Amino acid sequence: MRTLIIEDQRSMALEMEEFLTRSGYLCELAFTGKQAEKLMEGNAYDFILLDLGLPDKDGLEVLEQAKKVCPAASYIILTARGKLEDRIRGLDLGADDYLPKPFSLLELQSRMQAISRRKSGLRENIVSIGDFTVNLNLRTVSFNEGEIDLSKKEFDLLSYMLLHRNRPMTRMQLGEHIWGSFSDDNYDSNYIDVHIKNIRKKMTVFAACDWLQTIRGVGYKIKS
Amino acid sequence: MKLLSKLTLFTTVSKLAILLVFVAAIPYLVDRVAFNNTNYQLRQQEEKVFSNIRDNGIDYYLEGDSTYASYTMLKEEYISIASAELDHLPDTMMTSQRIIENDTLNYRILSRTFQFEGKNYNLEIARTISSIGQYNRPLQRIALYVLAGLVLLTLVADLLYTRILLKPLSAIIRIRIRDNRFPFKKLREPVRTSTSDFRYLDDSLINLMQQVNDDFEREREFTSNASHELMTPIGILQSKMENLLLLHEGDEALQEKLIGQMKTLNRLKKIVNSLMLISRIDNEQYRRDDTVLPGRLLQEVAGELEHRLEQQDIQLAIHLSSGKRISGMNQDLLFQLFHNLLNNAIRYNTPGGRISITDSQTSNGYQLSIGDTGIGIAAADLPLIFNRFKKTSNGSEEGNGLGLSIVKSIADYLNLRIEVESTPGKGSQFHVLFPDV
Repeated sequence: MRTLIIEDQRSMALEMEEFLTRSGYLCELAFTGKQAEKLMEGNAYDFILLDLGLPDKDGLEVLEQAKKVCPAASYIILTARGKLEDRIRGLDLGADDYLPKPFSLLELQSRMQAISRRKSGLRENIVSIGDFTVNLNLRTVSFNEGEIDLSKKEFDLLSYMLLHRNRPMTRMQLGEHIWGSFSDDNYDSNYIDVHIKNIRKKMTVFAACDWLQTIRGVGYKIKS
Repeated sequence: MKLLSKLTLFTTVSKLAILLVFVAAIPYLVDRVAFNNTNYQLRQQEEKVFSNIRDNGIDYYLEGDSTYASYTMLKEEYISIASAELDHLPDTMMTSQRIIENDTLNYRILSRTFQFEGKNYNLEIARTISSIGQYNRPLQRIALYVLAGLVLLTLVADLLYTRILLKPLSAIIRIRIRDNRFPFKKLREPVRTSTSDFRYLDDSLINLMQQVNDDFEREREFTSNASHELMTPIGILQSKMENLLLLHEGDEALQEKLIGQMKTLNRLKKIVNSLMLISRIDNEQYRRDDTVLPGRLLQEVAGELEHRLEQQDIQLAIHLSSGKRISGMNQDLLFQLFHNLLNNAIRYNTPGGRISITDSQTSNGYQLSIGDTGIGIAAADLPLIFNRFKKTSNGSEEGNGLGLSIVKSIADYLNLRIEVESTPGKGSQFHVLFPDV
């Protein structure tokens, strides 16, 4: 997957590049609107990650321009401005998603995966883990035809970990995903443990869940 | 009591008091005047008698007799001259009885002893007391009428003028204070008055409100800019840490340190997020046209916080009247408001405690109440709990102290009223009132 990262904060762009490269994306960087436009003219990208706060151009203008040059690409707007109008206009201009800064790189990747899933048009998006089958589109978890009843949050948590399997995830990263950027002043992210405990309780009735590992001091990981 | 009422009351009472004092004093005063006047007239007549005697001799009166007496028809006045054996009869002015032709009458008498050609005489000039007092009553009445009329006239004039005088003051109170709510958007034109004190007061209030608005504006801008600017470095740090965490997957000691740093960063992020939310509300970046079903909304909030209820083993009971709809709201903000209130009700509850959510229709509007069986809030802390970064003395380590100021910002923005009752050790009740439009 070719990805263009348009971000004027160099160190931010480099971190995104490092993370996405490790996840198998091919990344190129643009630090200004001009650089980005030049790159977009000569290349076809699958993903364009666009920071709205560019030094030389208005991000939304860049988006408008980019949609003409790279209509096939998927766009995710990244911004610290957080204005409602920006979000609405961005989505109106054809952005596929909108992620307010600061965000977790895991969240960014899962949004990209979600867009890919959506665009591939697969009705069935089935992941199997242990003896269980998870349908990400229908939001179901089943064991030998028997369905396991998880709450919305529990399913969100499980599918997020599945998307990032074999990767340790902190309670904060998990919490941020299921609670979003919604303002919440609970610093203690141990509440994730309650959900994990419930997921384990509901699933071990059917089969062992040793693939859902607790990593001491860090959080959780799905190993497969 | 209002200034106008006080002034009216004082003016009326003081004038009535003056009137009463005067009414009480009139008989005495009139008597005094009449008496003094009589004394004066008697002396005038005495002068005249002596001047006649000096010019014409004593026989002008005596005509050879030893006594002379003359009185008016109804014996209201008399004059008498008689030779006096005693030369030490006092010269005096007295009130005494005299018998004149079988009538005993009370007189005011000027009595004078004098010598003329070696002989002693006694002169008496007198007037009856009843004739002295004959004008007293009508005089008193007239004085009373005139006075009462004057008092009434000045009273009306005073009250009218006071009313006109104080009109700008009540206008200032009405426009600037009673009908004005922060933020003072309509600073309207100055109140019209020619009284410099009121002019000063009104100008000062306008200045003060302008200053408050400016300060608020500055704070709003600062919060907005600062939180946006802070988000960028926080984002960079977060990404760096996430990458580091993946890079050193096997290294437990390093990971533990990284997690510590991430927790601190997460804390910072939540503070900035909360500030940004407040500044967005203050900047009026939210629409106010949602219609909300309070029952459904609170079920959603409760669902969001289910894990916390479970962990703290708290029983939540929601008893709401069905079918209530509230319009002119913002679903997300209202969600946030109840989320924060319920979150606090959980946080400051005791393990195994209870939370109940009820509603009622009051005379002022629809009210939702969230009550807990928690630690409660000390009376001294109650006025401060909505302040930013305020944490009560018995608060836990958790929370950044912005939860309730977010509640307040949202309530102000959506025109809701929040009231708190609390008994330390027993629990708190937060009431959210949706005023009837």
